[in-house]
Amino acid sequence: MSRRLLIVEDDTDTREFLAKGFTEEGFTVETAPDGREGLYHATDGGFDAIVLDRMLPGLDGLALIKSIRAAGLKTPVLMLTAMSAVDERVKGLRAGADDYLVKPFSFQELHARIEALLRRPQDTEESALLTCRDLEMDLLKRRVTRAGRELTLTPREFQILEFFLRRKNRVISRTMLLEGVWEYHFDPNTNIVDVHISKLRRAVDEGADAPLIETVRGAGYMMSDG
Amino acid sequence: MAKPLILWRNARTRLVLASMVLSTALTALVLGLVYVTANRTIENETRSVVTAELAGLRDEYERLGTIGLMAAIDRRVKDAADRDALYLLTDAQGNVLAGNLARWPEGIEPGSGWVDLDLTKMSSGEDVSISAASIRLPLYERLLVGRDASARQQLDRVLLRSVGLALLAALALSLLTGWLLTRLVFSRLSDIAQTADDIVSGDLSRRIPVRGSGDEFDQMAQTLNDMLDKIEELIGNLRMTTNSIAHDLRSPLSRLRQRVESLTDPASAASDREADAARALAEVDHLLRVFSQLTEISRAEAGLGRDEFEDVDVDALVRDVTEFYEPVAADQDVQIVIEGTAGRGPGHKPLLAQALSNLLENALRYAPAGSTLTVALANVDEGLTLSVLDQGPGVPDEKLDRLAQPFVTLDPARTDQSSGLGLALVAAIARMHGGRFEARNRKPGLEAAITLAR
Repeated sequence: MSRRLLIVEDDTDTREFLAKGFTEEGFTVETAPDGREGLYHATDGGFDAIVLDRMLPGLDGLALIKSIRAAGLKTPVLMLTAMSAVDERVKGLRAGADDYLVKPFSFQELHARIEALLRRPQDTEESALLTCRDLEMDLLKRRVTRAGRELTLTPREFQILEFFLRRKNRVISRTMLLEGVWEYHFDPNTNIVDVHISKLRRAVDEGADAPLIETVRGAGYMMSDG
Repeated sequence: MAKPLILWRNARTRLVLASMVLSTALTALVLGLVYVTANRTIENETRSVVTAELAGLRDEYERLGTIGLMAAIDRRVKDAADRDALYLLTDAQGNVLAGNLARWPEGIEPGSGWVDLDLTKMSSGEDVSISAASIRLPLYERLLVGRDASARQQLDRVLLRSVGLALLAALALSLLTGWLLTRLVFSRLSDIAQTADDIVSGDLSRRIPVRGSGDEFDQMAQTLNDMLDKIEELIGNLRMTTNSIAHDLRSPLSRLRQRVESLTDPASAASDREADAARALAEVDHLLRVFSQLTEISRAEAGLGRDEFEDVDVDALVRDVTEFYEPVAADQDVQIVIEGTAGRGPGHKPLLAQALSNLLENALRYAPAGSTLTVALANVDEGLTLSVLDQGPGVPDEKLDRLAQPFVTLDPARTDQSSGLGLALVAAIARMHGGRFEARNRKPGLEAAITLAR
């Protein structure tokens, strides 16, 4: 079944670029150029996710999201914001957005985040055991084994690995890692995230035949079952 | 340029005129009062003399009858000690019985109070102005006693002339003082206007002359000069930043242009194109990072986000960020140690984490392999201090002060990913927290420290 996405964005170029991109990714896309029309479509229902610009003519993004939530809709919303300042993001999340992305962004990042939002409900099934191929993570005993052999991980490595395991088969961007694992909202100049990942890889892949964490060029990383 | 001066001169004219009108009006009021009072005193004097004389003559009449009164009047006219004294006694029909006036003035009813009259003197035939009072005696004779008013009128004229002269003098004097006073004020004002004009025409280094008298004008000039110093400094910084931005963005943009150009070249190999596209993307990412950092800096400078301040456990924050950089440090064979504690303080947690991250990245860029990087925390009178000490080459002393200015990097080639804005953002974040950024050479190494107000 095709997934339905609503894009509310006043800039025509961006709107069409996003619509085209998501259509190619197999989404059924509806667009709205302003907040009023966006609210009309959103409350009409039937969308799996909404991409929403923070700055909109007519009805501003924050107001729109509040109206959507007030209408009782739980559709996941990703907010696009031109302002990179932290408090702007916080405002968006407080208003009821599920995620946000700072403009300018890469389409891959946005796609990865939308996929993550769509999969979110499955994440809520709390399981004490997370697995991927021959890797097993026991959250209660804080133990990780690869092909039956126990791995020694630092608490941070454990946390990163858990982050990946909970988002299996999905692209994880560096920014998502920074925010999700370290709760940092800035963009380090160095390739620090890559260093952390390669450290984790060394610990996880040591002695194994296939690497568990793949690099997705231009987008980030992915841990897949396949 | 002359326009404001003319306006000011107009203001000066208005001021001088206003002061003149005011002081002249005051003088006129005072002199007018003096004049009126003097006049009234003289008139009262005359009236009391005349009243006394009327009473005396009436006594004479009561004692010696009409004949006696006539004799008394004749005697008084003859004595003429007071040449201005005028007397007239007539019978009930108005025939003159005695006195030095030719006839009873027309229309004057005896006992009707004070009158001013123009009459003819009997002795000399000259016309006189008199002030007089009259009574009717018991046998209906009429008695009039007066005083020649011309002497008084002359005094009046003299008095009036003096008052006029005094007024003129006051006018001249107020003009002079007004002119002098406003010259004092307006010469200082025109100093300021001249300086402002020069600054407007582009000479930012001009300052208002201070005359050394320490008066209010000097104080104001000093305050304005301090303000001008600050403005000049800020404009200088801004100009440098703008120049640096223009300069700094030119190289990545021209590199980007080359990449895109070779992308459009149909002759180039697919693998080359792929590499070019990746590099172009990297250049764009670099530019975007520069812009977002510039935004962060100006937001921090403007103090935006102060409402997001919370009680921050600085020690825990430092442990977290340091741990985050440990793998990079380990790759470089650099050890990071934390010394001391700073405790808790109000702050913007994400921005503080970013500031420390920038400090660490900067230090790691210059830390040699095998060295130790120290993060020193302290809680002193000034506030919480957080310094990062590396054992790298340090910074040339003359560059220390400019370290936190945008786009100042030590390596002109700038081959790494540094935007040249990291420390500028650190300084802006420190200022936002009521503190400051400082860099010191420790020989060897550099100490980069921020202080946060408690």
